[in-house]
Amino acid sequence: MINFLSWVLLLSGCFCVLISAIGLIRMPDLFTRMHAAGVGDTLGAILVIAGLMLQAGPTLLLAKLVLIMFFLLFTGPTACHALAKAALAGGEKPLLDDNNQ
Amino acid sequence: MMFFVTVIALFPAMFLALGRAIVGPTLYDRVLAVNSFGTFTVLMIAVLGFMTDQTDFVDIALTYALINFIGTIAVLKFFVVGDFGYEEQRDQ
Amino acid sequence: MSTLIDILLLSLMGITALAAVRMKSLFGAVMLTGIFSLLSALWFLILDAVDVSFTEAAVGAGISTVLMLGTLSLTKSEEKTSNHSQIIPLFVVFVTGGVLIYGTLDMPDFADPLAPIHTHVAPHYIEKSGAEIGVPNIVTSVLASYRGFDTLGEVTVIFTAGVGVLLLLGIGRRREDGDE
Repeated sequence: MINFLSWVLLLSGCFCVLISAIGLIRMPDLFTRMHAAGVGDTLGAILVIAGLMLQAGPTLLLAKLVLIMFFLLFTGPTACHALAKAALAGGEKPLLDDNNQ
Repeated sequence: MMFFVTVIALFPAMFLALGRAIVGPTLYDRVLAVNSFGTFTVLMIAVLGFMTDQTDFVDIALTYALINFIGTIAVLKFFVVGDFGYEEQRDQ
Repeated sequence: MSTLIDILLLSLMGITALAAVRMKSLFGAVMLTGIFSLLSALWFLILDAVDVSFTEAAVGAGISTVLMLGTLSLTKSEEKTSNHSQIIPLFVVFVTGGVLIYGTLDMPDFADPLAPIHTHVAPHYIEKSGAEIGVPNIVTSVLASYRGFDTLGEVTVIFTAGVGVLLLLGIGRRREDGDE
């Protein structure tokens, strides 16, 4: 049962990571790419780590995996925010729909 | 087996992120790609540790997660400020 | 199974290295060297060299990227196109590579149990370091006891470098505070 749950979590994590990587390539401008990268950086990472946590069992390893998960959860969005701020300050403009401009 | 599948599935993601880092076009795209690449590397180290039963790899994954974050923030500070010193010093 | 991982990882490293060499934007090249050191740290992990991988992660991906960015802030961020002919450098590179490959011919086979490194002092360390030093980790007992003077010298060098950097930074800032 635990193995099955692990499979599900790991595979869905891989799916999210792949989706985010494809978005990183296919999206038209920087800000949409950041949106795509966020999927893999948070949800994909958390799903993969959760799948590993089920395999680790209640040990010190579990605590380390929880730490990794929290670091990724906090640092990913922070780095993304800093990136968006730096990009806006550096003169990057988001791609907007022409009708709304 | 499940860890092997995960590692193999992470590789295309790394290739794609590397592609974005090579193509660019702006500097921020490269930083974003490097940041994503670092996250994928952290995941891959953790999964590789489980695959080969060397679970002390997880410590290294932890270190990487932090270094990746600090590296990204340092690069962005470089973009905004222009150097790593204090802003007052530039005017003098 | 692990061969596939090796091939994929090494091809990633190859692509990164070639792209870093071909890239005209120096900033992009710095980013690619960051990726390359992440990959080589991963590669060291696969080769079971955990401590080397740790160092590579901290120095390669952390410090050296920051140092190269600091250098870029002092110079231009585009590569200058060279007017020199590239035949002589290519020749030198090929000769050096050929000599290096010729040098590897004398080396013992990979993981050969009769190689000098496995017959000289390594068995002594493995068998007796627990009784002689009393530290469970062999690497620690080699670094801190058998090669204690060597490690002392390394620590002295690093300490001197750190003190030098602190002096350089600290003196500049104190004088500035005095001016204000």
